[in-house]
Parts: sequence; structure tokens; C-alpha cells
Amino acid sequence: MSVISHISEKIGRSFEKGRPLHCFHSLWDAVDTFLLTPAEVTKEGSHIRDAVDMKRIMITVMIALMPALLFGMWNLGYQHYLSVGMETGFWSCFWYGFLKWLPLVIVTYISGLAIEVAFAQWRGHQVAEGFFVTGFIIPLIMPPDVPLWIVAVATAFSVLFAKEVFGGTGYNFLNPALVARAFVFFAYPSVISGDSVWIAESADAVSGATPLALVMNGNMAQMPSFLDMFVGTIPGCIGETSKIAILLGAAVLLFTQVASWRIMLSVVVGGFVTGALFHTAGVCPVNGWQHLLMGGFLFGAVFMATDPVTATHTKSGKYIYGLLIGVLAIVIRVVNKGYPEGMMLAILLMNIFAPLIDYCVVKVKVKKRKLNISKHRIKL
Amino acid sequence: MEFRIRKGLDIRLDGEARREVRPLETVRYYVSPSDFRWLKPQLLVQAGSEVAVGTPLFASKEDERVVVVSSVKGTVREIVRGERRSVETIVLEAFPSDPFRKQVDFAEPETSDEVASLLLSNGLWPFLRQRPFSVIPSPDSRPKSLFISCFDSAPLAPEHNFLLQGRAEEFREGVRRLHQLVGAGCPIHLCLRDGAENACFEAAENVQFHHFSGPHPAGNVGTQIHRIDPIDKGECVWYIHSQDVAAIGRFFLTHILSFERMVAITGPCIKSPCYYTMVYGADISTILQEQIEAKNARIISGNILTGKQLSQSPHVRLYDTQLTVIAEGGEREFIGWLLPGFRKWSLSHTFTAWLFRRKTFNHNTSLHGGRRAFVMTDVYEKVFPFEILPLQLLKACLTDDIEQMEELGIYEVDDEDFALCEVVCPSKMEWQKTVREALFRLRKEIGDS
Repeated sequence: MSVISHISEKIGRSFEKGRPLHCFHSLWDAVDTFLLTPAEVTKEGSHIRDAVDMKRIMITVMIALMPALLFGMWNLGYQHYLSVGMETGFWSCFWYGFLKWLPLVIVTYISGLAIEVAFAQWRGHQVAEGFFVTGFIIPLIMPPDVPLWIVAVATAFSVLFAKEVFGGTGYNFLNPALVARAFVFFAYPSVISGDSVWIAESADAVSGATPLALVMNGNMAQMPSFLDMFVGTIPGCIGETSKIAILLGAAVLLFTQVASWRIMLSVVVGGFVTGALFHTAGVCPVNGWQHLLMGGFLFGAVFMATDPVTATHTKSGKYIYGLLIGVLAIVIRVVNKGYPEGMMLAILLMNIFAPLIDYCVVKVKVKKRKLNISKHRIKL
Repeated sequence: MEFRIRKGLDIRLDGEARREVRPLETVRYYVSPSDFRWLKPQLLVQAGSEVAVGTPLFASKEDERVVVVSSVKGTVREIVRGERRSVETIVLEAFPSDPFRKQVDFAEPETSDEVASLLLSNGLWPFLRQRPFSVIPSPDSRPKSLFISCFDSAPLAPEHNFLLQGRAEEFREGVRRLHQLVGAGCPIHLCLRDGAENACFEAAENVQFHHFSGPHPAGNVGTQIHRIDPIDKGECVWYIHSQDVAAIGRFFLTHILSFERMVAITGPCIKSPCYYTMVYGADISTILQEQIEAKNARIISGNILTGKQLSQSPHVRLYDTQLTVIAEGGEREFIGWLLPGFRKWSLSHTFTAWLFRRKTFNHNTSLHGGRRAFVMTDVYEKVFPFEILPLQLLKACLTDDIEQMEELGIYEVDDEDFALCEVVCPSKMEWQKTVREALFRLRKEIGDS
């Protein structure tokens, strides 16, 4: 260990102020603290600190995403070989998906991290870890055969305009991964159209409508079974198809207390109740619980809505925020036939309203406090 | 009344003080104006002057009646000055024979003002502090209630009942005089640990007893005030340490002025943690030489959450009853953020140590990460037992939004109430400093209430 820290200390000297490589000190700091935990000790205030830091939290989220990623890679290959009518083994499916995923993730990280590091350098900050998760999520929610340059442009757009212009990780009010997806959706609608399935390099004859589109057009008979949707052996983005894998991720996030159970629960409740209401009213043939298994609803509820920065910050605000996401996602899905996947827009919309919800909750709390104090006074 | 604190955190460390009392004898004593919050000192002695117990060393520039006095009989050895000639420390050297006590003659005080002037002239007034701001109260003001916290819930904190062992009578007298000082209309709240030994406190008269249970910060006076008699704008509450109540009691009971007290020497780096009797300001170098094994240790006056690191002029501050010594951190670990973390202490469940329910950890002073912006938004509420939104209040403090701070309840809190928020913060923010600085600006803005 001391050898590594000795080497890092030696290299680090060339990045100090006044040295030629000082202009890359943020990059070096990122690499250095990636390899070795920082040597900093407490100065003022509490003398001991919790061992958890942003890196640990972000790696926990990435671990939670692993089941969805691994399943998604296999499924990508499986769907491809299914569509071209070939039968292959587990590993060749997985390998096919891996090769599809790899360029996506590399392009995302290069384009996003370059901007992130440049801004950190410019501001004299350390590189924040937020993008590690964002860059990990983006390939999971993009259509697998999206052109790489679009991914690069979308990532750059989201990092720049959803995050860095506001001050970087922690200051953004929109979920950057969703902004990237929304960017592709609105700027290049032909690659991410809402109603046809995404099977990588599929034979033309087989490409068909997504389950959501099928339902909305009343073709319930052609829909895959709900068991398939739950297991995930249906076409779709890498991350969103397998509900089992997403629930595994949710378990990790809840167990480690990294994500808020309040948001997850209320999104699911909101979606379920709205779905059930539409079903009872006869507007939509799909039941409440079936809605939860379709499209990116669950992925959004577990990984996107729970982003602590862009969600509401107050406890009671989290219930309102989650509930409204669930409601809105189903409303967009059912009412807007042109774009059946409403989760992305619902979360982005509620991201915008999150500060307003917080504002109201704080006002209510302040009033309550005043009442409480006057009550105390009467008692005394 | 019974109060149960649910939110909070007990941090377990090795090195709790055994119930054994040793004397500390030394000739060198230090008095630092920085031990008293925001006090601007006006020096009343010079290097070389002779002082007795109770001789004023410096007065507060805000109110000259508030003086800090010498705790020993001896000479002023040196006045250490810092930046812009501010007084950092007054170094005293005690005379060899019985330099710690002084007989004071006075007539029994009848009124509140007489008690106040006796406390002021003998340097006992600074024992009192007020909320908001945790400063020494103005001699003309009177509080709406007075709080005496009779237990400390901080890590490795001493037992107050043990600190006061054999001094129940002095404590009772102290409470009686404080009651005389604050007047009959002002309640005195005695906050006790539920189920602990409280024999020394039970004899107190004219007080309301409250029993608290639950994790730290149950023993913080801020938590107690919040539960019993919350403060609004324009109000003030006084509080005092139980050992200082006994010191006041001893003064009125025996007419002897003395600043002797008991301090717990604790921490994992201490060879045999125990209690020491010493006079306020005593140089503790000899204890440190005897007791510390580790080469790289941090010496803290107070507890690990709110204490002050000592370097020069090592002495236990007036409001502390504890000295903690822990190992310095800063060791780098290869890809530490990825490892399972069997021995890492965290409130979050992101390390496997949580699975195995380890009880004690080898805490050191490592920051365990780099400074970041707010990301996690619900960690503070888990350790903050106030009906106050911690995150929003801290944001208001950062942005200096006084109106918002007042609405959210800034007057009820002090930096120590945010110590646990600071400990668990994954973004490694310095919340105690933020709150203290915000309070400082607030006090400037509104004036002392």
C-alpha cells in the first residue's frame, strides 16, 4: 500500500500549483482519489466522520444497477437472435449484448466526463462523482441501436445544460440522464419513436409495436404475457425490461438506505391507483398492477425518481412528489396515444415542481412550529 | 416529565473513564479568551503582575462587569498574542503553597441583584450561558427559564453524578442561589438521565425535574430546551453546567472561592482513562506525557463531536468536563470506496460492517472523502431530534437568509446541535462552523436580545 501511495505522492507533485501540469490537477485528483482514499483529516467541528462518502454512495447505486445491466445485455442478444430466427446459447447472447453496450457506455463516459473534468478544473473543484451514475444509466435507457454520435451529443447536452450551467452535481434541478433521453426523444424522434420496439439489428419483418402501443391501439392479443414482462424477455431498452432485476436493484438501494423508500413506494402507489381508476372507468384495458410491469415505469420509480438531488428534499414532500409522478406517468401513457411511455416526462415534470412542493411543505412546517411554540407558552 | 428522544446516535469508543480520581498538580495555568464565545477581552493585567484567586484577568468589552478571573494565586508569566495583537492566552504561574482557594467575606445576599453582583465580582458569572447564541448573558437580563443538564450523552462523557459525588449539599445551595438570581417567576429545569444514578441532584428545591432517555443528543441542553420550553425570537433561556452550580453553591455555603473541578480523561489513546481533579486552566502536559502511548494522537478538550483540538497551551476549557484523545487518521487505502468495509463505521448501510453489527470501531480523524455539494437529503433528519427542518435551516444559514432562519427556528439551535449532522454528512460539509458563523452574523444584525 505504501508503495502505491508513495508513487501517487510523487506523481502528484507535478500537478501542484506553479508546476507545468497544474492545469490538469482536477483530473489527477480524480484519478488519485479513485485509487486511494483521500488523506484529508478533520479540521474543525466534529473530529470523527462517517466512513461514507459520495464515491461509496455512487458505487452502491451502480451495484444496484448491475442486475438490470447484466440481464439487459443477455436479453439484447436473445431478442436479436430471436428476431433473426437463430438459436444460440446463453453466452453468445450475452456477448452480443455486451458488444452492443460497450461502445454506448464508452462514448457516454468520454463525452460526459470530458465536460465534467473541464468544468471542475475551471472552477478549481474536485471532480464530483455524480456523472458515474448518470453515465451508467444513459446507455440503459437509450434504444440499443441508437447511433453513437447521438448518444455523445445527448450526453454532452445534458451534462452542460442540465448540470454544469447550474453549478454541477448537487445544484441541478433536472435528472441529467433523463434530460439526455428527452433530448434524443425530441431532437431525433426517428431513433427513439415511442411505438415501435427496439431490437438491435432486427430483421425488418419482425419489428413490431411495443406492448404499450399495442395496448393503446387495442391489440391486446398480440401483447407479450405479463410473466414475460416481469421476467424481462421482451424487447426494449437494456435496463428497463426485467422487472425482477430492477426489484433486486431496489432491494439493494433500500437496504443500504441510499434511495428513499418514500419516493419508491408513492410512485408505485400513484401509478397503481391511477391505472386501476382508468381501468375501472373503461378507458384502458390494462389493469393497475399490469401498468407497473409495462415500459420503463419500474425502472423510473426505482432509479430515476429517487435521485436525491432532483427529488423533493422534505420528508412529506417526497410522498407528494412520488405520488404525482406515478399519477402523471399513467395519465400521459393512457391519454397521449402518440407517446405511450410517460415515465420520462412525468419525472422531468415533477423535477421542475419539486422545489415548489418543498416550498409549500416548509411553509406548513413553519406555521406548525409557531403554533407549537404558542401552545407551549399557554401551558407554562 | 418524561421525554424520550428517538432520533440521534450513540457513537461507541474505547476509553471510558474508570471511577478513579487522581489529583493533577502543576504550576502552569492557561486562560484563553477564546474559551468564551465571541468575548472580546479587555486586559486587566500585565506580564509580571501578581494575582490572587479571583483577581480579574480580563473583562468583556461589551460589558465591563463581566470578568474572567484568575483561578490561582501566582504571577502572570506571559501574555501570548496572536494575529493583530489579539490576546490568545494568559499564562499564569502558581505560588507553591495552597494557591487554589481564597476566603471571601460578604454579607448574605437578599435580592437577585446582590446575588448577581457577587457572582460578577468573583468571576462566577461566566459559568452562566444563554441561548440563543451560547454566550455569557448580560448582567441586566433575566431569562424566561434556567436549564441545568445533569447528564451528558456525548461519546465517553463523564457521569455528572460522579463529578458531584459528595457535593450534593453544594449543588442544592447553588440551585437555591440561582433561584434567587432568576426570580420566583422563572422556572429552573433539572434534566436527568432516566434510570441513571441521580442522587446528587435529587435534593434540589424549587426545580422541575425532567427525565430524558434515548441516544445522544438527549443530554444536549439544546434538545432539552426544545422539548421543555422552546425559544422564540426575543426570548432567552439560561443554562449552566451542573458542576458549576456546585461551585457557586460552595462559594455561598463556605465563602471559599475556588475553581477546582473534576475532568474525565478519556479516549482510545489513553493508557488508563480516569478522572482527575484540577483547577480551571491547569496545564495538562504531565497527564498527556504519562497517559498517551500513540505517536500521532489528537488531543481534544471536550468530546469528539464538539471539542477543540489542543496544541499550544494544553488545558481543559471552562465549559468542558472531558478530555478526549484519539488517533489521527489520514492513512490512504487502495480503492477504499469499493472494498466491503468490514471495519468501517457508518450510519448508512453501505459497508458490510453494518451487517455484522460491530459494536466498537477504531475511530480516527480521517475525513473519509472529499468535500462535495449537497446530494443526500434525508440523512440529517435521522440524527436531529428537533421539530426543525435541518437541511432547510442549513441552507438558509449558507445563503444568509435571516428571515428564513428565524422562521425555521435558528434561535433554538447552536452549533453543537448540528454535530451529528456533520458526522454523518456524506458530502463532508462543516455544519458546526456554518451554524456558528450564521449565528454570529445574526447576532450582529439583531443585537443581543
